[in-house]
Amino acid sequence: MKVATYLVLLLVMCAFGFGVYRAAGALKSDGTHVERPSSTYAQALPGKLFVAQGGALYRFQNGTFTQITDDKGWTQPASSPDGTQLVAVQRHLNYSDIYLLTDSGRVVQQLTHLQSSQVEGNHWAFFPRFSPDGTHIYFAYDDKVPGTYEVDLSIFATKADGSGQDVVWTVPNQYTGGDTDPVPLRDGGLVYTKYSIDDQGAVHSQVWATARAGAAGSPLTPATDDCAQPALSNDQKSIAMVCRRGDLQATELVLATFDPLNYTLGPETILMQGQLAASPTFSPDGQTIAFLAPVQQGGAFQLWTVPASTSPSPSGARPITQNVGLDATAAPVWDKR
Amino acid sequence: MLDVGRTIPLPRPTRIVLGFVLAGLIGLTAYFLPLFQSASTPIVTSGGALINPVSGPTQPFTVLLLGSDDDSKFAADQFNTQSMILIRVDPTSKQATMMSIPRDLWVPIQGQRYNGKISTAYQTGGVQATIATVEQNFHVSIDDYIWIGLEGLIKVIDALGGVNLVVTNPVMDDFYPADINTSSPYGYYRVALMPGPVHLDGAHALQYVRSRHGDLRGDFARSERQQELLLAMKAQSKHANVADFPDIAKALNGELKTSISLDRAHQLFSVVDQFDSAHIKRIILGPPYTSEGWAGDQSVVYPDWGQILPIVSQYFPR
Repeated sequence: MKVATYLVLLLVMCAFGFGVYRAAGALKSDGTHVERPSSTYAQALPGKLFVAQGGALYRFQNGTFTQITDDKGWTQPASSPDGTQLVAVQRHLNYSDIYLLTDSGRVVQQLTHLQSSQVEGNHWAFFPRFSPDGTHIYFAYDDKVPGTYEVDLSIFATKADGSGQDVVWTVPNQYTGGDTDPVPLRDGGLVYTKYSIDDQGAVHSQVWATARAGAAGSPLTPATDDCAQPALSNDQKSIAMVCRRGDLQATELVLATFDPLNYTLGPETILMQGQLAASPTFSPDGQTIAFLAPVQQGGAFQLWTVPASTSPSPSGARPITQNVGLDATAAPVWDKR
Repeated sequence: MLDVGRTIPLPRPTRIVLGFVLAGLIGLTAYFLPLFQSASTPIVTSGGALINPVSGPTQPFTVLLLGSDDDSKFAADQFNTQSMILIRVDPTSKQATMMSIPRDLWVPIQGQRYNGKISTAYQTGGVQATIATVEQNFHVSIDDYIWIGLEGLIKVIDALGGVNLVVTNPVMDDFYPADINTSSPYGYYRVALMPGPVHLDGAHALQYVRSRHGDLRGDFARSERQQELLLAMKAQSKHANVADFPDIAKALNGELKTSISLDRAHQLFSVVDQFDSAHIKRIILGPPYTSEGWAGDQSVVYPDWGQILPIVSQYFPR
């Protein structure tokens, strides 16, 4: 009886020691840990949103995330004007392709075929967007110069059914990485981000607009503001974008009025600053902006919303998720239904 | 009379409590074992008289940060230092400066009869030759050095939970070296890092600071990104606590060499932690400080010492 008591006591002590070991591990900073969106709940938003995390696409509706694709490199979704289809990028080691999917994540059609057996023969395609009439898909593609190190993205457009020839829209500045973030306009024009490197070696990003394929285009923002990732409201009267103004550790979320006839921006309103705000998108009614940013400094990117108001209140921006670690270069998609 | 040779038995409750305390201590020791192991491992491979450690916590100090490819292309401890960053910290004035030294800078190498790329100093003469080469060419006094290998950098960033930074433009490289965890280190693959604010894990952060082929500024762009990553790691390390140390120690096992002792490291980190990253001066020695050219069949970077030394003397006074 006495021996059994000692054995039990010894076992309890061992369990206590193991518990201390585990408790020490639990004290680690939780910056390393993110959860799958589908295992979390969040405050519901009107309509439905699509986001990307860890190579999978998720639909967020009624406060619940549903994984709609496998987790094999899916990112950067965008929805068709009627909200029934998505285009998205599937990324592989050396190339990526754009696919047409249903809004429940089933692949309808592969729109690009960019794989090659030679490493440098592969191509990238990113940032697909439907034109407002749904007939074309705009995207960034590395139209490379063979035999050089130059790999710069240009904006291309192709028919949404995959037929016909691709059309080159922009000519990037050489060895800058190129042009990104196409936002097709209702009148057939295009808003996008262009990168440049000045004489002092500083990199700048600017939001540009161009009326037609191959036209010179013009900047909407000054180089010193370093603005990028433009998003347009459905009525095309407002632009949301991210500006870093020379900073490398913080950005501003900026709202500006947009004149779609003359391609000019009106006064700017800073909706959030001092944080790493990324990839804004408008709600279908244009009243709210969803974007991605860490909740705490150094943390993974979460879904946020902020009223698209020219008189912002300090408490306007609020995180919707807390610990999901979303792909910050994949802007959320926000649909009505 | 008290029998001094006889052990007085402890009361039973006390023995039980001591048993639990002992079990708890064993649990803690097991958790922090990697830290104790790294502390007992002789990671200090100082260059002897070349290192000039500072004595007080308020004295300014200069650290040479070295980063190397350390894959199987290289013989043990005969690496090229692809990244060389001089960091000076003045705890009193709360000023800090980072200066990247171009890896292809064409200079006299300590112990060699001819000029060479500064990145080869480590390959030919180890850390002593590297420090001496930097000190003699730049007229600076180096107090300590830290060398880190590629895998070490990846693991440290992962142990920190990744880093947040702003990718200023698309980082595109069709010839990124596939030399980690491979038997054929001469392969390559394609890299495309999308621009904007991002959270990067260790492997992608390494791609960010190592890619150079698709950028107009070549190695200078890489230097700038390396400095940006250091600031991001500094910001991220603020969230680390003592429970994170064993993972970090495991990550650095065999991938870190330094002249800094653990005590001194703790002291330095607490000093550096007080600095606002926005006020850290960053220097890249691109034009007009340097110009690109050829030395025989080698593409090199020529220094203009008339331009470089005044700025070094201003920000890195001896």
